[in-house]
Amino acid sequence: MTRSVAIGDTLRQAAPSLANVRRRRVDWAPLLLLLPTTISLGSVSVYPILDGLWLSLRNTTLSTREDRFVGWLNYRLLATDPDFWSAWRHTLEFTAISTLAETAIGLGMALLLAERFTGRGLVRAAMLIPWAMPTVVTSKMFGWLFDGQNGLVNWALRSLHLIGGNIDWYGSPNTALGTIIFADVWKTTPFMALLLLAGLQTIPHSLHEAARIDGAGAWQTFWHVRLPMLVPILLIAAMFRALDAFRIFDLVYVLTGGGPADSTEVLSTLTYKTLFSALEFGYGSALSTAMFATEVLIALCFGILIVRGMRQQGR
Amino acid sequence: MSKTEPVSGAAAELLPKPRPGRRGFLGGVALGGVAALASTRGAARAEITFASAKFFGKETVAQVVEMYNASQSRVHVTYVELPPPSASTEVHQLLVQQLARQSGSPDVFTQDVIWIAEFAGAGWALPLDREFSADVRKQYFPGVIQACTWGGKLTALPWFIDSGMLYYRTDLLGGAAVPETWEELATLAQAAERSGRARFGFLWQGKQAEVLVCDLVEFVASNGGAILGPDGKTVMIDDDKSVQAVQFMRDTIDRYKISPQDVLSWDEEPSRRPFTGGQAMFLRNWSYVYTIAQDPKVSSVVGKVGVAPLPHFPGGRSAACLGGYQYGVNASTKGRDAAIDFVRWMSSPATQLHFATELGLAPTRPDVFDDPRLAQSQPFMQKLKSVFLGATPRPVTPKYAQVTLVLQSSVSRALADGNVKQALSSAKDRIAAIVAS
Repeated sequence: MTRSVAIGDTLRQAAPSLANVRRRRVDWAPLLLLLPTTISLGSVSVYPILDGLWLSLRNTTLSTREDRFVGWLNYRLLATDPDFWSAWRHTLEFTAISTLAETAIGLGMALLLAERFTGRGLVRAAMLIPWAMPTVVTSKMFGWLFDGQNGLVNWALRSLHLIGGNIDWYGSPNTALGTIIFADVWKTTPFMALLLLAGLQTIPHSLHEAARIDGAGAWQTFWHVRLPMLVPILLIAAMFRALDAFRIFDLVYVLTGGGPADSTEVLSTLTYKTLFSALEFGYGSALSTAMFATEVLIALCFGILIVRGMRQQGR
Repeated sequence: MSKTEPVSGAAAELLPKPRPGRRGFLGGVALGGVAALASTRGAARAEITFASAKFFGKETVAQVVEMYNASQSRVHVTYVELPPPSASTEVHQLLVQQLARQSGSPDVFTQDVIWIAEFAGAGWALPLDREFSADVRKQYFPGVIQACTWGGKLTALPWFIDSGMLYYRTDLLGGAAVPETWEELATLAQAAERSGRARFGFLWQGKQAEVLVCDLVEFVASNGGAILGPDGKTVMIDDDKSVQAVQFMRDTIDRYKISPQDVLSWDEEPSRRPFTGGQAMFLRNWSYVYTIAQDPKVSSVVGKVGVAPLPHFPGGRSAACLGGYQYGVNASTKGRDAAIDFVRWMSSPATQLHFATELGLAPTRPDVFDDPRLAQSQPFMQKLKSVFLGATPRPVTPKYAQVTLVLQSSVSRALADGNVKQALSSAKDRIAAIVAS
């Protein structure tokens, strides 16, 4: 509410200032006030990005003291680098699966927590614990849970006779990435649930009641009333999650270091190794620029979906 | 012990330890005559800095540096502490940043063995051949000198050594001799598993990480093979001997079934736990495991653990992957003579003995192992002389940081899918491209 009032005020103030512009008088005061923000954002956000782009066009390697402008060479190497493409695929796979799973399970949790029941406040607070935990702690915990020899998960599955022998979760290229996705879903679903719960609460209760009076069941109410209303928030939350998941680093770094056989190598860990172990700043910057470009693409896809969804609702 | 070494550690220990700078002068006066004398003459002292990763035992590196400062009046060393070796990526980065500036600071530094060629190749490390002749070099383990040499020149001076070694359960061996070949180890391990005496026969580290390259070096070198030729350019990782060795690594899991598939995701600690927990017969690991194995609070195998050089293939020789930090002198130093004097003292038999007894860092000079004082304070370390004689460096190349990433990725692949020859051939092409550029 307060926001719309504020916007109204600005509009009212904007009218006379437009007149000022016509009289070719520039009002310096607001521009001056913007200066600190511009400088601080420029120095901590815009400059590093531009500097990274510049570095990605050079062959800067700290240890061999090479530092020359090489144009697009790093990007040409990148295009044929099998490590880059396999890491890129793993990262996209991780992002897609974890975001989908977190959105679906998060939605279920949000729907549950939107209902009234005793102890709801407590459950809502408890739900956030996995998300509040430092990721390194989560990683260590999942390291123990999925330990191939003494892990609780293997023990439980064996006790239920679902598996014959122990599964080596982190030691096999077939299961390592899946296990890391599982850990991420456990950790970040509460975040999605929280965002979606907030979205659910903005849906007017009257719509719900009207649907019920018209004879709609729980499923119909959800499918035809709540879900369509929730879509914009759902997409925004999924976009946040996808962009964040794309930068996955800590779980992989702690649990597998990218192995076995590169099966869990993602863009962040590959970039880290190139930048900080090999000290190849040029090529490493090209890697992170490629990462940045992919993130922009993901954001763009979501952006188009969100705008389309909003237009449809507007109609 | 060599007579050419100028300072006796025992004599140095008797001296008080003034703090650096003017405060050191005042402190020295307060402490007594000897130090005051040293400090008044200190006006002409050459000032140098020494940066090292953090190591400590009963004493710290800083205390040893103070011993040097107190032992003579020509040079004063200021110690700069870097992060511990567990944060070696940061230590490496800090050193590269400092050395790349070529400002001469730090004058002396310590470096992981795998960085020596990189620093020498960049021209940051002062060649030390003139000061340390071939005779002096013979006083060290040959593998360490090999790792300290790049382009035919000695560019680092040995400090301390660690290496891979074979831990075995004396009680499970049941009178059998400690295995000398991998085949013998496999037979003994299989027998122990079959009879239920041990859950795991042999544990090693196959995680896609630096430790995998260490294990790789040991298997390959113990078959007479190598990863890189002595010229640092010829890639030998897909030679028959290397392929056989990597095939054996895979066979421990698949064919002999003496190692669980889990070793493919294990580095040092995960592989150590089942061993000290009493579940395994053989373990390849570093020297730190022994202390843990003898601690009754965490170990169920106290008094049942022996250590030996790692086995080899028929016709090969036991090889132990060399680790440890070594001294380097900054090529841009302005206090060259002072820096040389300092590293000479730091690498002397007396100081190495002091590092061994007080900080638990194993000497790089075989002679020091025969010192009765070492036997008294570090009986376990003393036994490792035969292990360290087989110390083998990882590939010596300025591009090691890139080479190791390729090795980790391709050997991990070879172990996971079993296409050893194919994985190693592709590794060869990629490493050749890296070292050629």
